Amino acid sequence: MNGRITTLNRLQRGIVPLVLLAVFALSPLVLKQYALILLTNTFMYIILAVSWSMFSGPTGYISLAPAAFFGAGVYTSAVLGFALPFPLIVITGGLASFCMAFLVGALTLRLRGIYFVMFTFGLVELLLNFVLWWEVTVTGTTGRVVPPLGNTTVFYFMLAILACLLLTAFRLKHSKYGFALQSIGQGEEAAAHTGIHVTALKMNTFALSAFFMGAAGVVMATRWTYIDPRIAFNPTLSFLPVLMAIFGGLGQLYGPIIGAAIFTYLEEFLITRFPYHYMLIFGITMVIAIRYLPDGLVGLVQKAWKQWSRRKHGAAQG
Amino acid sequence: MEEYGRKLPVELKRYDDKSDIGTMANLIEKLILEDKVDFLFPPWGTAWLFAAAPIANKYGYILIGGPGGALKLKQIDLPYFFQVLNFSDTQAPALAEIFEEVGVKTAAVVYRGDLHGIEYGEAMVPFFEERGIEVKMKKSYPPGIKDMSSLLKEADGLNVDAFVAACYPDGGMMLTSQSMELGINFNAFFMTVLPFSPSLFKGTFGERGVEGVMGGGAWNAKTSPGARDLVDKFVNLFGEEPDYWGGLYYWASLQHFRQAIEKAGTLDQKKIRDIMASERFDTALGPYWYDEDRYFVNHPGEIGQWQKGVFEVIDVGEKRTAPPLYPKPPWPKKK
Amino acid sequence: MMVTILDIIIAGMLLGGIYALIAVGLSLQYGVARVLNIAHGEFIMLGAFITWTLYTAFGVNPLLSLALCGPTLFLIGYVLYIVLFSRLRVRAASPGAYEGNSMLACFGLLFIIQNLAILIWGADIKGYSFFAFPVDFAGARFAANRLITLGFAIVIGLVFYLFLARTRLGKAIRASAQEPEAAGLMGVNIDRVLALCFGLGALMAGLGGALISMSYKIQPTMGLEYTMIALIVIVLGGLGSIPGSFIGGFLLGLVGSIVTYVEPGLALVAYYVIFMMVLLLKPKGVLGK
Repeated sequence: MNGRITTLNRLQRGIVPLVLLAVFALSPLVLKQYALILLTNTFMYIILAVSWSMFSGPTGYISLAPAAFFGAGVYTSAVLGFALPFPLIVITGGLASFCMAFLVGALTLRLRGIYFVMFTFGLVELLLNFVLWWEVTVTGTTGRVVPPLGNTTVFYFMLAILACLLLTAFRLKHSKYGFALQSIGQGEEAAAHTGIHVTALKMNTFALSAFFMGAAGVVMATRWTYIDPRIAFNPTLSFLPVLMAIFGGLGQLYGPIIGAAIFTYLEEFLITRFPYHYMLIFGITMVIAIRYLPDGLVGLVQKAWKQWSRRKHGAAQG
Repeated sequence: MEEYGRKLPVELKRYDDKSDIGTMANLIEKLILEDKVDFLFPPWGTAWLFAAAPIANKYGYILIGGPGGALKLKQIDLPYFFQVLNFSDTQAPALAEIFEEVGVKTAAVVYRGDLHGIEYGEAMVPFFEERGIEVKMKKSYPPGIKDMSSLLKEADGLNVDAFVAACYPDGGMMLTSQSMELGINFNAFFMTVLPFSPSLFKGTFGERGVEGVMGGGAWNAKTSPGARDLVDKFVNLFGEEPDYWGGLYYWASLQHFRQAIEKAGTLDQKKIRDIMASERFDTALGPYWYDEDRYFVNHPGEIGQWQKGVFEVIDVGEKRTAPPLYPKPPWPKKK
Repeated sequence: MMVTILDIIIAGMLLGGIYALIAVGLSLQYGVARVLNIAHGEFIMLGAFITWTLYTAFGVNPLLSLALCGPTLFLIGYVLYIVLFSRLRVRAASPGAYEGNSMLACFGLLFIIQNLAILIWGADIKGYSFFAFPVDFAGARFAANRLITLGFAIVIGLVFYLFLARTRLGKAIRASAQEPEAAGLMGVNIDRVLALCFGLGALMAGLGGALISMSYKIQPTMGLEYTMIALIVIVLGGLGSIPGSFIGGFLLGLVGSIVTYVEPGLALVAYYVIFMMVLLLKPKGVLGK
């Protein structure tokens, strides 16, 4: 009996995402080309922000390595080109990032707090400079041409990665591992005492989050068509997902999604209206968000909702 | 020519390589798909051009390659892409020819680790060697390098006649000021991207500081009546001299473009493209046309040298506006 | 003139002096105020551009500008701390959360300052010639302006160290760094002291920027490069240690000079390899226990 109710609940809960997926899957039929491009871009940022918060949200480890994992995917795309069927390249790129993140995770086990932040950012710069040197002295070039795919194809691949990611992130959050990650964030020693394999869990989650970043990098490279180390390992792609996630709020899965969507739209709006002041306004928004929205946008809305319902409740009583 | 439309990607120039290629790709598609502009103008810089050209081509938009560009673009088939500037394949032999004429025997080549640097760095060596100039040193340096004194000292130690750098303005400024500070003077001092800019180069180091420095480019007011006209117009409008690498070329390419549009009598990209690809028109650079690869080839070479405040063209042949100054005079003594 | 070992060592020292000076400020800001100031390089850039403007527009001697850049940047830093960081600190759930949030706020500041500078000065490279002549020393040859920069960097660092070690204020700062609660009990206004530290960090950045403008070309986007170098140096020397910053600075300068001589393309790679090795193997710095 109980079992049937949960199944029903699950079904109901599953319907909303499925409908959304269907809507997005059909959108290329009605949307204009440029709207599709923008949507693809938004998806990319959502993938980066959500996969970032999958690990960093509960554990509190701020990783500035997204650009490294994304860049690994971009380079996979450029190096493999047409050598493999595209879906295989996407998976290869994801796996490359997965392995790299696993290695980084193994190396940085002892690093906490700001040391972890600095290490992950150092990783981006190291890869950038090393690949630059490698391309200049060993392969004798720095730019690579990536075989382009159509806008619609790129859109569907991005959508597929996003769907897989959201499913994974949701399942993880509501599994025993999700709770274990949360307890790591509250205190690693205490978590270890309750019988959690802290090390294995941290490394696996970190690597899993990198998989999606790498896969997104593979797909995005086909849109950019020309890449070099500076484009692939662009440090901005490390900062932006972090900001988007924090701006949206880390408490809920939809926080980073909303954050990324708003940021992408804001960027598009500002860069066309205020090309000369866009980064300035962007910086100001960032500072204000951190200064006044400690729990992100979602936290703000929740707080407002609580206050409103309490008032309503109080009024009904009085 | 009122229908030029907006050209937002140009704004990205301000952030140069710090900005984001994904954003630029989006903006170009926005211009084409959303704003439905009639004509498209390119972003600044070799890597940007490389990324923009295939997109414009995909939608059948003419793109005239302005600042930047690379030989590698030739390998991709882009029927709507037109290339204006000279590259390593014409500038390197022109430089080698000048070096041979003035008697350069040995050279050191340093190049920036990027598309531009590698292309020039690689291209120059065979042309030098073909003319009996020995390349005693060839090294790349990374963008963002903070100290180039060891490169200069090494070249100085090898006693080379010519120091050749395939650089961007950041490295070029550092090379110039460090060789001044160290009192290292070469008989010939050539840099690709920097000397052509009067405001940046002459403005920073002064007329005496830049005397005898050679650079990629080049043209000046003496090149043609149209060139003099352009310099006058530019100085009137902006209060400073134009850049002596691309300025005249872009101007001429626009004059050519305009006549092609007028002749087509339509905004149809395909018709204009076909006229551009086949017809010759008269411009400030003289007769102007593109070859079968859609490269502007009528003015190959073009090496400049600062002489008494003028960026003289010193190519061997009729384009020369002044003979090369060799050896380069020593850097000015500090008062 | 051949490149000798002496050449390489002195070039490393000249580079190291600047590295050390820009790291001291960041070290103080992180060591005491717990702000990992990613916008440190933007303060350096401001110092450099103020000096450049004063020199090219009014002919003010860059060494005189030092006296102006320092206090101006100090004021900016002090006010920023009071307005922004003290609030973040009070509100933060844990020290870790504060470090994270304040670092992200610094990213915002980076964009703001950098783009204001682009609006004011334009995005082009700028520079001027100051003491641009060679000095010969034991067969090695160097630029006079870089020697001046090194001399000032050492003097400024020494004065700063004495200030922290000998004065009452300096002792209050060190007390706050070690035991914030105890310092608060002893009647030290902790917010004021932390603001002072952040301001002093900005002051050091301003001085560093002024010195940098004498021998390097400057650009509004130059900041992050210097921030990264300062970060590497303070990790090398141990977070929060002033003498450590100096040793780290000279060490990194030396490495840079040697690698640049052998293979210029690998200079930055070497920096980051060292950075990450130190983080992994000796996170307390090469001198740390």
